[in-house]
Amino acid sequence: MKIGIRKLQILRRTVQISVLVGLFMVPIIARYHNYAASNEIDRVVEKWDGTAAGAMISTLDTAIRLLPGAEHERAGIMQRDTDAAIAYAQQIRGSVWSADIGPLSLTDPLAVAESSLASKKFPWVLAVGLFIPLLATLLLGRVFCSWICPAGLMFEMNDKLRGVLRFLELPPRNLRMERSTKYGLLAAGLLLTTVLAVPVLGYIYPPAVLSREIHDLVFATFDRAEHGRFGFWVGGMSWMTFVFMTIIAIELFVSRRWWCRYVCPGGGLYSLLGTFRPLRVKLKHEKCTECVLCVAACPMGLNPMKNEMGMECDSCGVCISSCNDDALGYAIAGPSKPIAQTSPEAGP
Amino acid sequence: MPPKLTRRNFLARLGSGAITIVGIAGTGLFAALGDVDDAAACVRPPGALPEEDFLATCIRCGRCTDACPNRCITPFTEEAGRELALAPGARQFGTPVIFARRQACMLCNGEPGDGLLCTEACPTGALIPTKKSAVAVQESVDMGTAVVDTTICYSYNGASCGACIRACPFEGTALRAGLWERPIVDPEVCIGCGLCERSCVHYPQAIRIKPSTDRDPTTRGRS
Ligand code: SF4
Ligand code: SF4
Ligand code: SF4
Ligand code: SF4
Repeated sequence: MKIGIRKLQILRRTVQISVLVGLFMVPIIARYHNYAASNEIDRVVEKWDGTAAGAMISTLDTAIRLLPGAEHERAGIMQRDTDAAIAYAQQIRGSVWSADIGPLSLTDPLAVAESSLASKKFPWVLAVGLFIPLLATLLLGRVFCSWICPAGLMFEMNDKLRGVLRFLELPPRNLRMERSTKYGLLAAGLLLTTVLAVPVLGYIYPPAVLSREIHDLVFATFDRAEHGRFGFWVGGMSWMTFVFMTIIAIELFVSRRWWCRYVCPGGGLYSLLGTFRPLRVKLKHEKCTECVLCVAACPMGLNPMKNEMGMECDSCGVCISSCNDDALGYAIAGPSKPIAQTSPEAGP
Repeated sequence: MPPKLTRRNFLARLGSGAITIVGIAGTGLFAALGDVDDAAACVRPPGALPEEDFLATCIRCGRCTDACPNRCITPFTEEAGRELALAPGARQFGTPVIFARRQACMLCNGEPGDGLLCTEACPTGALIPTKKSAVAVQESVDMGTAVVDTTICYSYNGASCGACIRACPFEGTALRAGLWERPIVDPEVCIGCGLCERSCVHYPQAIRIKPSTDRDPTTRGRS
């Protein structure tokens, strides 16, 4: 059991990191696609030799040419098969806000809600993209938060820095807020979206902000290279990065996992959708020794010791790996009831 | 352990929650209403809904940008518009635009498949899926209209140029040559792809795309 959950945590981290790396990769792939379509790969690789832009394209080119069918022999040497390379490059587009991966179209349920409320329409394409994310959320709850969200990964790493602060005897504060704040913000945001007819939450929702900013940063790097300008550059990014950095600062110094616990409108939406999820983290009450380790571990600030894993739990499993007594685990079960009596001796 | 819920505590939680909602929603509101939009700046990808509808429907995801084989779609940011001295209005931030002077839409000419790739990539219907045959493009694409500035165009000023005419995918109808290869635009046929503007040899460009203000791909008939 213990080993299983360790492996699952490693897998989770691997997926999170892959998504973040993917966010940088997709715009590079898009530019590779452009240069391939105009037969410019060899030219830009040569011209941008020794620069970041050149390195990105040449590395990607090497990787794509390793794929089956991406090279063919001509005049005795292996050459790039441009059509095949383009076909590979077209397999992935977008970001965690909405992505196209091979035949799959995936759109964030919050994006779907915003687009259809702002436009007062629900076209078929929206439903196609919504299907898999919605099904996953209905069955598994906030798994987007614990497995996919690139902001979630950064917030988790930021959380580890709080441990460093504590080690340096600079204990950060931990302000607690009303959890329902996120439902309030979700409602306010969707109302504004409907009234103003603009998807408002997409401007502040961290995974969407990160997706856009990373895209624009990579594109700006290439745009600059096309004009012969190289070197370190943070162009293309906007004031939204400062909003994100503010959240990071608040979580570091003022309130642990503040955004995801109390504020995130996306997290709020998935919480609501996942209320009746059949797979969830469950406490085996009789095994619990009330050591409180899980309570300290839960990034969402819930109380697994009291079986208080309601709609807010993102099923990350951190509490399961923190438990030394095998009292927590994934189970097929309905909404859990918190235990009123915490002491087993005093139990009913 | 969570601290005990006292009355004071409760009010503090409620207060901080309210402040957060107002703060974050206010940021969103500012983002949506901050500056006045400069609608004249925006040539949208083909198949785009009417502008107000488009701004409501598009989720600024960038899938159309990534799909374009021709690098002509750009998310509208300060950085992207800098070179052309264009800045996005608040609602336009991150939306897909085409700056024809930099790279114009070649209607996916030479690409596999029979659809315009950006329109097929859009997950929201902000871009209506459109086929790339000449008939389909004529029927539903209206990105804008080319306008010739006859005061600077070489052909209208003593030389004979006509570079733009040969770049036009509907050469002879949308853009045809008059005397001395003077470019003559037929606004009924011109779809606003911008290939003429991109190829104009005069600087600043003597032929430019005026973004469409009344496009409507859903009616499948251009006004
Ligand atoms: S709560 Fe929001 S920011 Fe946090 S992990 Fe979930 S979606 Fe990402
Ligand atoms: S039609 Fe093709 S070339 Fe034109 S903007 Fe769309 S993807 Fe790009
Ligand atoms: S693919 Fe559609 S929703 Fe996404 S940015 Fe382009 S127009 Fe907007
Ligand atoms: S390319 Fe420019 S200068 Fe030449 S004819 Fe066309 S508009 Fe005039």
